[in-house]
Amino acid sequence: MASTESLAETGAKPFDIVAAYNELLRTDPDLTMPIAAIEALVLLLTHEPSSTISETLDLLAKSTDHLKKAIPNPIGLSAGTDLFQRYLITTLQRPGQLGPAGDFKAIRTHLLSNGRLFIRRAKESREKIVAFGRGFIRDGCTVLTNGGSRAVASLLQKAADEEGGPSAVRFRVIYVLSSTSNNPAEASGEPEGIETVRALRAKGVPVSTIPESAVAYALGKTDMVIVGAEGVVENGGIVSRMGTYQIGLLAKAIGKPFYVVAESHKFVRLYPLGQYDLPIEQHVIDFKSEEDIAEENQHKPSSDRPVLPLCDSVDFTPPHLISALITDSGVLTPSAVSEELIKIWF
Amino acid sequence: MPSTGLALTPGLASFLKSLKTNPIDTSIENLISCALTPFLLWATCPGQTFPSNHNHLRIDCSNAAKSAIPGHALPQRQRWPAPHSCSAAGDGGGNIVRRVLGLIRDEAEDDHEAEFSLNASLPLDRDALGLRQDGQDRNAVRPPLTSMFSLLSHPEPENSQPSTPGSQSPSGRFPSHGPSKDVRAEVLEGINEIIDELGQVDEQIAAYALDHIHSNEIILTHTSSSTVQKFLLKAAAKRKFTVIHAESFPNNHDSTHATVSGKSLGDDDQLSTDAFQKPLIQLGITVILIPDSAVFALMSRVNKVILGTHSVLANGGLVAAAGTRVIARAAKVHQTPVVVVSGVYKLSPVYPFDFESLIEYGDASKVLPYEDGDLVEKIDVQNPIYDYVPAELVDLYITNLGGHAPSYLYRIVSDHYRKEDISF
Repeated sequence: MASTESLAETGAKPFDIVAAYNELLRTDPDLTMPIAAIEALVLLLTHEPSSTISETLDLLAKSTDHLKKAIPNPIGLSAGTDLFQRYLITTLQRPGQLGPAGDFKAIRTHLLSNGRLFIRRAKESREKIVAFGRGFIRDGCTVLTNGGSRAVASLLQKAADEEGGPSAVRFRVIYVLSSTSNNPAEASGEPEGIETVRALRAKGVPVSTIPESAVAYALGKTDMVIVGAEGVVENGGIVSRMGTYQIGLLAKAIGKPFYVVAESHKFVRLYPLGQYDLPIEQHVIDFKSEEDIAEENQHKPSSDRPVLPLCDSVDFTPPHLISALITDSGVLTPSAVSEELIKIWF
Repeated sequence: MPSTGLALTPGLASFLKSLKTNPIDTSIENLISCALTPFLLWATCPGQTFPSNHNHLRIDCSNAAKSAIPGHALPQRQRWPAPHSCSAAGDGGGNIVRRVLGLIRDEAEDDHEAEFSLNASLPLDRDALGLRQDGQDRNAVRPPLTSMFSLLSHPEPENSQPSTPGSQSPSGRFPSHGPSKDVRAEVLEGINEIIDELGQVDEQIAAYALDHIHSNEIILTHTSSSTVQKFLLKAAAKRKFTVIHAESFPNNHDSTHATVSGKSLGDDDQLSTDAFQKPLIQLGITVILIPDSAVFALMSRVNKVILGTHSVLANGGLVAAAGTRVIARAAKVHQTPVVVVSGVYKLSPVYPFDFESLIEYGDASKVLPYEDGDLVEKIDVQNPIYDYVPAELVDLYITNLGGHAPSYLYRIVSDHYRKEDISF
């Protein structure tokens, strides 16, 4: 691959951005994909000496391409890499100490020395979401949620507070556990979200777990749906865990509000026109005849893109199903997302 | 129902005028009846300086918040002055109070950019509300750093303390001389601008009338909202159309009848005749008065529904006179466009977490008079004053700034109110 070659040229020991990205995600379970991508890029800059602006931008572009190609689901991480790149360019264009007149080294040092700060801020943004989103969860309400979103988990846990605490809200949770999310990588084989269920139950919140097939049945007992998102796309729709789209459709049909909790760094410049328009290779619908199965057993077909395993598959929830996005910059309507993106890109 | 958008704005203006001329003591009664009290007091009292004493301002603000709670300072007043426009029962917020707060913040920050930051100097119990204010957030408010960049940006306060107690940081001490006078004048001017805006709001909205009302259209409206009436009157000067007016029984039917017939109501209503000199019928417009129950039956013939509102919420929904939701829903069924006319001052930054709590209940005797004692004892009579109309039932908002889609309102909200003032 061209990008790896160029990396090999610039340094004696090539820095493997994909490995760094995966390592970051593995070591810190609280880390979101965009932040891991930003961190990986910061690490890249520390390893690869570059003294000019265009050299740095070129390096970043190449590594980003490489990273996106190597990861089966690049939506989340591309939010991070785009944000990083735009930040760099905007800061360089703006007059000031870090601007064109200033020292390029200054901005470089700022970025390199603040890796931890970015992670901390990203985590703090979850606290801000909690502050904005707390009003949504009221006494006596029932919340339906799914997936393993950390933002949703922190929102629900904060609302629960400690049992009997001064600000504790008495609410109930219906947790949709996915049947396909038995991740083989996870040793326990437990469905995604079970830790949140445990944590909520420990705080005295009554939690009911239901399979995906029971969502329509359970929505009648639900006051609102709150879901997380892997990426928030330009039209205000979300890319999220498989099954979110159908919950959105059902919530709309039954007339329950459908809220999305997402950090604003997950906003990604992508405009999917439908389910099959995502830049992801996932074989959810896989037509096979007996012949095909026999053939497949003999030799695995190799694809140029890594295929997303079924347990990690995602779907796209269009904006008209979303009542509001609870982000760290406030409670937004889906159409506000494009404006946030336009602000950083143009 | 409190017919919002009535000619109450001059009251505010004259009130401020009286404050300037009269001694404070004489108008204190008036002052108490207004949620702006602390600001006006502060802005007009000669003895107090700003920002010489931050603590003082803080008291003002919290007082404002307190007195803005309807039940707090004004237990008996059902009819809140329109400009104040309580966005929701119990949220304790007045949009104008928020705007004045924002104004003060802006002035303070502009004038003393380098020296202090009002943001941080006005905690306003924000910590208690869980809205922590750190460098990032302040960043998000100000251009050119956008909120998405706040993650990476901000090289200055890198000293990993969320709130930077550096040299630029505030605290109560601030030289009491110098620019403080100017800030006061600026804020006073700003308040006057808001008052001007409130006075002109209906005319500004009416200026868009000809774009939306065409010849021979059938327009349906509801309640005696003066904003709607002026809107229709403006179009009536040039075009001939038909107006179907739902009477909005039981809270507003008397003034609706008066509006249609052109007779001014008694003193109990503040609807002054000078607000609109001529009724629509005198301009040759056919006005058909119908009971609310006939709305659905007639909707198939209606070309456009034009509604007034009590307040507009940040998600594009609105809190309007009871019966509005039925009309909006009927319009949706018949695919009739619904246009809501509202001044920007009615726009509330509050997100409607709980629709139920937004709806106030009024005098039950309007539905069933107490003379029918036997009946009143036996049944439960309710008279809701407001309806919550979800955003998807509204096609267009016309404010004094122009026409907006409901999904765009968040933008106007963020232009007019400071984030830190959303919840007092």
